[in-house]
Parts: sequence; C-alpha cells; structure tokens
Amino acid sequence: MSIVFWIAICLFAVAIAIALARVATAKDLGSRAIIGDLVYFAAVGILTMIAMLVDLTIMLDVIFLASLLGILSTIALSRILTRGYR
Amino acid sequence: MLIVDVLIAVFVLTGALLMVTSALAMFRAKDALSRINVFSPATGLGMPLVLLGCYIYTLQHEGFSVYRLLIAIVGFLSFIIVSSIASNTLSRSTVLVGSPVHRYTRPNRLVEPLVPVDGGETGDPTAETETAHGDGPAQRSV
Repeated sequence: MSIVFWIAICLFAVAIAIALARVATAKDLGSRAIIGDLVYFAAVGILTMIAMLVDLTIMLDVIFLASLLGILSTIALSRILTRGYR
Repeated sequence: MLIVDVLIAVFVLTGALLMVTSALAMFRAKDALSRINVFSPATGLGMPLVLLGCYIYTLQHEGFSVYRLLIAIVGFLSFIIVSSIASNTLSRSTVLVGSPVHRYTRPNRLVEPLVPVDGGETGDPTAETETAHGDGPAQRSV
C-alpha cells in the first residue's frame, strides 16, 4: 500500500516541478498567481500522502484547514495585481 | 480488504494524475484567463478525490467517527466552492489589470468595442457594466 503513496508523492512532485518551470517562462502576472495556487494544492497533496505513510491521525484536519484557507493567498495575489482596486 | 485498498489507490492516483495534467495544460493554454480555466480540474476533481481516498483510509484504520465524517464533508465542499471563488476573484482582477487575451480565446466579449460602431446590435449589457467601473484599463488583443 505504501508504494501507491510513494507513486502519488512522485506525481505531485512532478506537477510542482512542471509548474515551477512554467512560472520561470510565463510572461504575465496572472499566470504566475494561478500557478502558485497549483503549487500550493500539490504541496497539500504531498502532505496528505506523508500523513498517510506515517499513520498520523490528524490528516483529515490538515486537508480541512488547507482547503478552507487556500483562498487567502489567491485573493491576496489578486489584490496585489490590481494595486488594491476592486 | 483488498477492494478497499484498490479504491484508495485509484482515488489517490487519479487525483495526482489530474494535478499533473493540469500542470501540463499550463503550457498549452495561451493566456492567463485560459490558465485559470484549465486549473479547475485540479481543485474541482483532483483534490476532492485525494480527500475521499484519505477518508476511506481513515475509515479502514480507525473506524467511523461523526467528527471525521463532518470534517471530510466540509473539506470536500470547500475544495469545490472556495477554490471556485478564488479563481473567479483572480480572473476578475486579471481582466481589470488589462492583461493580454490571446486571439484563440473564444468567445471573447472583452475585446469587442464597448461603444457599438455600426448598427448598435453588438453592444451587450456586460460591456456597459464594464464601463461603469470607470478607470479600468482597456483590453488589448495579442
């Protein structure tokens, strides 16, 4: 069972690597903001896989908080893009 | 027991593959609005599948609990709803800041003229609400 979690960790790591390569080649700031959001969710996935590998009992709490608070970084980046103009 | 393991593996691997697919689609999308659009399978389907696999794993190893079921349901719904609101906010600010829209992005009401030049049939109410904002910079096409 743990080989599945390791494969999933590798897939999330590949997703993060591809996304960071795309950040380096992107031209506009909106693309960079949304790719940063993708890196955040892939990191949450890696944390979930590690929590299942070592049998932590708080893994559902981790995903719960991450899904509720993931909006904050995106909204902050969008406010930065428009310089506070709504 | 074996069927539960297969279910966990399918859910987790499908979620991870959707994330990789969404990261690869960032190369194929031409502008920022399309990239925000192709990001939605990762958070709308991939992360809820990962959470479902994690909840089944918890159910298998630690038994049923009302608290964990509640946490899982709220997390499942918030992955869909909260990330959609975040994408909407980010795409709105991307439009307001005047980032270029590729000509392959279609239908594109943003680069149509705000004031109808001939006839008067091309003006739509969304364009009038865009002019109501005042000093938002104009859209330009690539």
